[in-house]
This record gives sequence, structure tokens and C-alpha cells, in this order.
Amino acid sequence: MAGKGGIEVEGTVVECLRDARFTVELANGHHVLAHVSGKIRKNYIKILPYDRVLVELSPYDLNRGRILFRYRT
Amino acid sequence: MNTSRFTAGEPAVEITRVEPGLWHALDDGRVTGRAETTTRPDGRVFLSVDAWHRSVFDQLAHAMLAALPEPLHTVVDETDDETLAAWRQAGFTIRRREWEYAVPTDPRVTGPARPVTIVPAEADPLRELDRVVRAEVDATVGWAEMPAEVLVRPPDDPAKYAVAVEDGEYVGLIRVAQVTRLPRIGLVAVRADRRRRGIARALLADALGVLHRAGIETASAEVKETNEAATALFDGIGARRTNSTLELVRHGR
Repeated sequence: MAGKGGIEVEGTVVECLRDARFTVELANGHHVLAHVSGKIRKNYIKILPYDRVLVELSPYDLNRGRILFRYRT
Repeated sequence: MNTSRFTAGEPAVEITRVEPGLWHALDDGRVTGRAETTTRPDGRVFLSVDAWHRSVFDQLAHAMLAALPEPLHTVVDETDDETLAAWRQAGFTIRRREWEYAVPTDPRVTGPARPVTIVPAEADPLRELDRVVRAEVDATVGWAEMPAEVLVRPPDDPAKYAVAVEDGEYVGLIRVAQVTRLPRIGLVAVRADRRRRGIARALLADALGVLHRAGIETASAEVKETNEAATALFDGIGARRTNSTLELVRHGR
């Protein structure tokens, strides 16, 4: 049986770092270090500063996240 | 910043195949990792693994590899050293590299192009040109060399295309995906019998000019490293390589 996933929150990309990682600011002002999901990578979706994204937070470290979706603006 | 991609530690997880192409890593009932397959229109199977820990990545990859027939493919950013290392550890090797380009739109930078008649596409002749180009790909490099989006056909919306016309016939096409702030040059194609005449450059200059007049300074494009004509085209208009994506493959044994 499938279990529950992690916490998903919306945020805004504020910086593109090396190693395919990003700093994302969440609505509460908290910054997380995020990488893109494999699905985003497979679909060649580009993430840029100011993009609004959906981030899954790591249950092991709330300073880490995974970008699941980029919203169209 | 020099942080590890994967969190340290080795949580005890249970790997479960929840659908034919989907695996979960469960830590105390919570999904903490996923592995998925995507089958492209040409039949190739691409894998992705999302995990917070390297050990979980390895377990998910192992479960997929044990269950799926090879060859299997995946895509990774070349600067993502840790993910690349994890896939290599799983037996994948580099099959091809695609350069990502930042393409200027300013005609003062991109330079002049040969005068070519370029018009908005109409559905029927566009489909015919698409059919011809596809047949040429089929007979030459093959579909395994094409990016995923090229495989999805026929053209659904002519408004996304501009075409080059010679003697009343469509001889080349360009598609620009209008995405947020960074438009993407999705496809440039010229009939084999009309190549080396500056048609691709003219199509590109036209599309970039439209973007420039709309206030957009840069577009993006991906070009296969070994496609010398395409890399020369983009290098020749002042495009800058910003990153690279690797396609990895694990061959059947």
C-alpha cells in the first residue's frame, strides 16, 4: 500500500546554484536548498530565478527540498 | 556553497513497487523516495529516482534494474556530480551530451541572415513538411538521436511554427515554445535537399527577431554535442553554452 508523501509547499526561486541546485524562498520567508525532481529533469524543464515552484520538503531536513513543479506565470 | 546533494545517514526503508512503472521507498509508512519510468514515443524507457539519501537512491535503482528489461536510459545535469556518480554506480554510461545554449535575440549580435521568405505556418503544408523531415530522420540518424519533444507529433498547433518557403514549397520550419521569460527554440529543421543554403539561420534570425521586438533578450536551446551543423549555427549567432545535460544508458547484458 502506498504511504503518504512529504510536505509540499509553494515557493519562489531566488538563486540558481551550481550542481543543479536552487535556493527557494517559501511563503513564510524560509529559504531551502532544493534540487529538481527526476521528472523535471527528464522533461528538460528549466528553472530560473523568480519562478514559482512547488517544493517537497525533506522529512529528514527541513532546509532541503525537491522541486516537483514549476508554475506557469 | 559546498554541500552534499544527499543527506548523510542510511534510513531503513522498504522498497515497494506500487505500479508497473512506479516504486516507493517507505520510511515508517511515509514515502521518502520514488522511482519512475517514462516510455518515450520511440519505445525507449527513461528512469528517474528521487531520494534524500544515497543509500535509498541505490535501493530504488536496484529494484528498478532488477525488474525492467534493458536498455534503460536516464537524464542528468552534468554538474550534478553526486547523481551522476549514483547512476554510474548503477551501471549507466554516458550515451550523449546536449549543450544548453543562451541565445541572444538582438539582431546586432546574431548578425545578418540570407534573405529567405518566412511566413506563419498553415496546417496542411506544415504536416507535409513534417512528414518529409520525419522520413529523413528515419532514414539517417534515427529517432534515438532526437530529443523527446521532437517525437511527439504531428504538429498540433501551426501557430507555434514559422516556415521557410522556396518556390511555393515549405522547405524548413522552426518552433519556439513561449515559456516564462526564457523562450525555448524547440526545433529547427530544413529539408535535406535544401540544406547548406542559410535557411536554418534565416529561420532562427526571424524567430529571434520576433522575440527581440517583444522585449525578450535571451532564448534557450539544446543542441547535441555531435551535431556539428547545429552547434556551428548557434555558435555563429553568438549563443553561449551555459550548461550540459547527459543522457545515460545501461545496455542489456
